Amino acid sequence: MKKSWIIAAIAAAMLMTGCSQKEPEVDMTKQTASQESVAEPITEADSVVGTIAGGEESSDISSLTENSRMAQIKELEAQAKKIYFDFDKYNIRPDQEPRVDYDANLFSSDTAKDLTIKVEGNCDEWGTDEYNYALGLKRARSVRDALTVRGIDKNRMVLISYGESNPVCTEHNRECWRKNRRVEFELLP
Amino acid sequence: MRIFLFMVIGLCLFASDATLEIVKSADNRPGIALQDASTFGNDLVKQKFFKLIVGDLKVSAHFKVDSTYRYSEYESIVDPMLKSGDYLIRYRFREGSSQALFMDMRAYALPAADIIYERSYRVTNRARYPFLVHQAIIDFNDFLKMPSVAWMKRYVIFSEYTKPKHSDIVVADYTLTYRKTLVSGGLNIFPKWADRQQRGIYYTKIGRLRPILYYYNIYTGKQHKVASSDGMLVCSDVSRDGKRLLLTMAPNGQPDVYQYDTTSGLKQRLTFYPGIDVSANYIDGEKRIVFVSDRLGYPNIFASKIGSRAVEQIVFHGKNNNACSAHGKYIVYSSRESDNAFSSNTFNLYLISTQTDYIRRLTASGVNQFPKFSDDGESVIYIKHYASQSALGIIRLDYNEGFLFPLKGRRIQSIDW
Repeated sequence: MKKSWIIAAIAAAMLMTGCSQKEPEVDMTKQTASQESVAEPITEADSVVGTIAGGEESSDISSLTENSRMAQIKELEAQAKKIYFDFDKYNIRPDQEPRVDYDANLFSSDTAKDLTIKVEGNCDEWGTDEYNYALGLKRARSVRDALTVRGIDKNRMVLISYGESNPVCTEHNRECWRKNRRVEFELLP
Repeated sequence: MRIFLFMVIGLCLFASDATLEIVKSADNRPGIALQDASTFGNDLVKQKFFKLIVGDLKVSAHFKVDSTYRYSEYESIVDPMLKSGDYLIRYRFREGSSQALFMDMRAYALPAADIIYERSYRVTNRARYPFLVHQAIIDFNDFLKMPSVAWMKRYVIFSEYTKPKHSDIVVADYTLTYRKTLVSGGLNIFPKWADRQQRGIYYTKIGRLRPILYYYNIYTGKQHKVASSDGMLVCSDVSRDGKRLLLTMAPNGQPDVYQYDTTSGLKQRLTFYPGIDVSANYIDGEKRIVFVSDRLGYPNIFASKIGSRAVEQIVFHGKNNNACSAHGKYIVYSSRESDNAFSSNTFNLYLISTQTDYIRRLTASGVNQFPKFSDDGESVIYIKHYASQSALGIIRLDYNEGFLFPLKGRRIQSIDW
């Protein structure tokens, strides 16, 4: 008799456990709701800020996540090697080929493969007028074509010439002019 | 009689060819002396005014100018020592209310010292003083019935580098003494007058990804986009009626010359070489163009008929002729006389005609670049670079005379007159 009572009690307990297993979502919701309703009164931290007139609100919260990507892009840009050119020429010199190889590998890496590549042509101070800008553009195009041959999608690249407007060195000597006759890159998301 | 006619025709032909250098054996131009009676400005300012007046008189090329600075009272009698010339100009700058500035100018005929001419001028803002001087010299020149120098009132438009990838578009008087910035922020290059009346300009703004050509009204400050192109876009010339433009565009990174119809917006490709074709200018009644191309392996000047693919080499001299400007049948170009990557180079300016084989050298030494014809084709403006400074140069073709105005610490990108 005693045994049968124990079995009945266990069975009842199992039944109850089974029932309770079916309802946790409802119970939990109720519990959460009741907890909120009984919590300490909330202080509205922006009750005053929210009344300020004006347009769209912003803080650095939205850019914080983007900043890490931008930092990564800038890091890639810094790693890219500049391609240097001879006086009045726009063909890629043999000694610059390894640098183009390096850039092609860099731009096809996982971190860079989704980026647009702005190929910027630059000249020394010796050209004049439109011809210098055209020379810078042809240098940019030579580098784009060389990168295309190495597997970089042509459609990822845009060309622009800055002529003599963007010198990295402003002294009037041969070393400076050599540094300024270059193609460099800007990477854009 | 026939021989006489040939001589007359021959003289007329030579007289109308600006590529022939004029060598004067005697200077018959009227002598002119100056006296300053200004009540405005310190000594430095007075010297500036004086130099500008002397400059205008010299650039007119119509006078033998005595460059000695002399001070006088405006109403005092003429010093007998000055009576060796033909004219004495006595001038006076005086202050007006607010920022206004007046200039009085009186001319005496010598040796009688009779007053033959007197005018007064005013500007409401004293920064515009160069226009006081230019107007006074234009009027005095007209009074003497000399060939007009009204071009002195025309504006020069130029682009000036301010820092890497940044340049401003600036309007100036022809000596670049008066300046007003029109466009700033970013890289703004290759300004070109859009019409002969100088109401508007075309210029290129290098955007983030591609260059854009804008039209800018200099009186309203309003602008609108005209065209954009991959890689490069420059307006190198405007037809006399302002309805057609010669553009350098570079779709797919390939710079070529195009003609753009401002009414229909249609573009016509004019050059087809897979190298560099730039700096096109209309010549010969706007039926042909002259342009710079590297199709021989170095930059040189070529011409072609609009609508034809045939190209004609125009210049058979120089190792590197990389900039040109044209007016009618005349072409002025800049030629690099040395081919040195490692030291200073010499660039000289040359004038040629599509009708003759003569070449006239316009400069003798230094780095002379950005040649541009004046609207009447009688003068050429250019930039001369020295080791540490630049100057604006003006060559008066008909008079075989050149003048330089110093430019302190300015880096000119491009200029149009």
